[in-house]
Amino acid sequence: MHLSKKAGTGTVPVTVFLCAASVFCLFPVLMALMNSFKTKSEIFTNILALPAHFNFDNYVRSFNKMKYFTSFFNTLAIVVIGILGIVVFSAMAGWILCRTKTRLSSFVFGLFVFSMLIPFNAVMIPLYRVAKILHFSNKIYGMGSIYIGLGVSMAIFMYHGFVKGIPYEIEESAYIDGCSKAQMFFKIVLPLLGPITATISIMNVLWMWNDFLLPLIILATPQKYTLLLSTNMLFGQYTSDWPAILSGLILTVIPVILLYALLQKNILKGVVDGALKG
Amino acid sequence: MNINKKQSQNFTLILFVLPAFVFFAAFKLIPAVLGLWYSFTNWNGINPTYKIIGFENFAEIFTGDADFWRAMLFTLKYVGAAIVALNVCALVLAVLIESARKGRSFFRTIFYMPNMISMIIGGYMWNFIFTQVLYYIADNTGLEFLNKSWLGDPKYSFTAIVIVAVWGGAGYLMVIYIAAIQSVPTALIEAAVVDGASAFRRFISITLPMIKQAFTICLFVTLNSAFQVFDVVFSLTGGGPGRLTQVVAINIYEEAFGRSNRLGYATAKSTILFLVIMLITLVQLRVMKKREEEM
Amino acid sequence: MKKLLSVLLVICMISVMLAGCGSDTQGTSVASAAPSSAAVSGQAAASSKAEPTRATLNVMMSFPRFTDQMEAYLNQFKAKILAEKNVEAVINLEMPSSDQYGNIIQTRLSSNDAPDLFTLHASADLPTYVKAGYVADLTSQPLADKLYDDVRKTVTIDNRVYAVPFESTVWGYLYNKDIFDKLGLKVPDTLDQMKTVVKILKDNGYTPFELAFQEQWVPQLMTALTLGGKVSGSIPDWTDRMYQDQGSYKEVAEIFDVIDLIMQNGTKNALDKGSEQGAADFANGKAAMFVQGTWSAESILGVNPDIKIGVGALPVNNDINCTKINLATTTSLAVYSGTKEIETALALANYMLDDKDSSALYKELKFNPVAKCHSFAQYSWAKEASSYVEQGRSYRDLVLPNAVTDEQGKLLQSYYAKKTTKDEFIKVMDKTFKDANRAAAQAK
Repeated sequence: MHLSKKAGTGTVPVTVFLCAASVFCLFPVLMALMNSFKTKSEIFTNILALPAHFNFDNYVRSFNKMKYFTSFFNTLAIVVIGILGIVVFSAMAGWILCRTKTRLSSFVFGLFVFSMLIPFNAVMIPLYRVAKILHFSNKIYGMGSIYIGLGVSMAIFMYHGFVKGIPYEIEESAYIDGCSKAQMFFKIVLPLLGPITATISIMNVLWMWNDFLLPLIILATPQKYTLLLSTNMLFGQYTSDWPAILSGLILTVIPVILLYALLQKNILKGVVDGALKG
Repeated sequence: MNINKKQSQNFTLILFVLPAFVFFAAFKLIPAVLGLWYSFTNWNGINPTYKIIGFENFAEIFTGDADFWRAMLFTLKYVGAAIVALNVCALVLAVLIESARKGRSFFRTIFYMPNMISMIIGGYMWNFIFTQVLYYIADNTGLEFLNKSWLGDPKYSFTAIVIVAVWGGAGYLMVIYIAAIQSVPTALIEAAVVDGASAFRRFISITLPMIKQAFTICLFVTLNSAFQVFDVVFSLTGGGPGRLTQVVAINIYEEAFGRSNRLGYATAKSTILFLVIMLITLVQLRVMKKREEEM
Repeated sequence: MKKLLSVLLVICMISVMLAGCGSDTQGTSVASAAPSSAAVSGQAAASSKAEPTRATLNVMMSFPRFTDQMEAYLNQFKAKILAEKNVEAVINLEMPSSDQYGNIIQTRLSSNDAPDLFTLHASADLPTYVKAGYVADLTSQPLADKLYDDVRKTVTIDNRVYAVPFESTVWGYLYNKDIFDKLGLKVPDTLDQMKTVVKILKDNGYTPFELAFQEQWVPQLMTALTLGGKVSGSIPDWTDRMYQDQGSYKEVAEIFDVIDLIMQNGTKNALDKGSEQGAADFANGKAAMFVQGTWSAESILGVNPDIKIGVGALPVNNDINCTKINLATTTSLAVYSGTKEIETALALANYMLDDKDSSALYKELKFNPVAKCHSFAQYSWAKEASSYVEQGRSYRDLVLPNAVTDEQGKLLQSYYAKKTTKDEFIKVMDKTFKDANRAAAQAK
């Protein structure tokens, strides 16, 4: 990875440009952060200045209004249910679909792959109906289950591809040792799937955490809202009370930024792998 | 014996696939089929009964739904602008980061950061910038070109939407491009340096052809997501003023869950969107396949 | 044997999965049962005083700008009902923005997920919701007898009272009295007089109209007023004919004369400005007139308590018969007929017109008095508006389908952005009205 030989392009203008682009990237977040501490009138007098003092009133207001803890744990529960389901079920299915060579297996696999072509918009409205019939609408487990249903096909595809690269000999020898399929899967195969599981988890967690349209349709009461829905509600309620809105936005961003700060390397790697394999 | 073996194989297969398949069938397969079915009905979501009305919904869309087609046009315009803007920005950033001497990982981290934030949140932050901060800057610095109705006037709100889309999406494409650039063999570049090729020349003749695959991926990723764009537009303009900045996804949402609750009619619209996206994806698959054969 | 094992394994997994879902539902039922069991154990512990019974009420209202005041009032209610009936109420108040409210409440009602109490538009929504069986009868409640007769009529259907009126308003456009007085302007009665007023205002450096069109319901007010004036003054059968697919917006195209006048002489960047911001700007004297109902008085006075607000009837043409004031009961509170906490819900509905506390609430929110228990005086602007009523220059707010009202707002936004012409407006509105008629026929 030593591309530093390219340094001939003139590093100073490049650095200046990159710094400018960084400012552009951070600008909205910084503006939101700065103004979230101000009072309404302070925003109108000088929007670009640092706040005169750190006033947490706005945060208290939006925190309560959003039912922050409830929303946060709702989101977390949905993501946990979704990711567990996606990973375990897809690993099982992806592995067996790869290892079984029958007409049925190629048909089922084909079905999963084909379904990846169906955009969310095409299933959105019937999904709303199905969720209602199953009494899954406005339920946390309902949301999680729907994510499992929407997420497995891509994950199966990726597991399938990954299993192809694992030599069959390992499984064969275990099979000769008298291992059942189930034992084999959980004891031998699952541990081997670590890297791809990390990629799949990262992709899906980010998707579910930041998804807006599906919860907007399925979740109806504030007790069940995800963080994004609560923030959206905040925006509707405080039409021009920017300090309250901005502090709400910052509160919603904090968990994501923390996650990013902690797992930045893994996330970037997972995203690239996911894009290249998907 | 062989048949028995096949049967037992299929039996295990079913057992292992079943859990995934149950969820998949309930929330993807059945809704997709139902969607096709509903688009031929006059189901309105409130009434328990509905009837099949054949192609009436489609006929209405094709003859009388100016809003839908305006939304389609706006979406196409957005798709075009987003593909170019996103990929150009991402590629430029990728190349510059890779050629920077210091702070590569720092810049990469910063540029990818907006991608972590939902476009709903990002959109509301930008909403603040466009409706408050820019006016303030314009009033106090005399930068008159900023003094525009950024989100209220469709002339400018299109630009605003694309700017925010680039802010939120370029980082994602950038990391893909960076990965591709890093896979270019150093030896090739060193050889070119020895031959006295300029940096620009090296980029055009060596790097660019080597990252073709990444380019294809990025192109179709943007194409797919741009056609279904919802969040950015929802949080910036909500499709307004009027319906002037509505994209197809918002138009469908409004038809189904807003004003008329005409869910059958709305599914007919989403079927059309589905066909458009399907067409694009099939083209994509062909292109990818062709490329693989070439390689 | 191995096959059997894998069967067992998968069955186990599926049952765990199902149990997972099952336990979730149990979880909610346990949670809702918990208070009573807690109450039981609590009773055992505290023997001196009976443990209060718990009641959870979901309340949904359509005016986010009053969230703080309503929350405070609900807290008073909680204290009162705990003291008087030993009921510990948990109240979840939701305030979706007015733009989305109609959709949300409709979805919630039709999906059996209705809040226990909710606000609705007395003239536009109440008849439909009553017919659908969503609204509890309040006739026998104490609140029904307290209402003023003319207000009571607006929330009565087939001699039964169905809602507590919040906003019973007599409204037109608002004007800044200080500016009008300073320039010696009189409230115009005809379009020509309005044009003169606009000219004088401009000559003296004032912006005539405050425009805040970001939310579609605000520009919609212009259609409400102009259609109301025009229709009641010269074509009274227009609404009925529209409902029978036999009318057209062509007949009322005249409304654009004054709409154009307003749009061409208003503040800038209207489509970036929300209603609250518009109220703030009007309060600060940025414009002389504002097409907004008296319900925004609270916001305006909140920004500038010294402003003197006047109310005028918006002229549509030069026929003084068409220059009238709008009489409407808009936001009212209804009790959901299927509520599980009917006692507490009714208590809350009655508390809205409580003899002791209600006056302060209505006064604080700048609502007009609607009941005998309201001891406060009418506001000066309400008096001014009522003087039109006394002269017989008023009409009942037109009842149009929701889809039509929304569409008017959206089209006016795009008309303001110069992306829709008058002819397109007429064409689209005629179609929307017909579609709404068809949808209503289908729903039956």
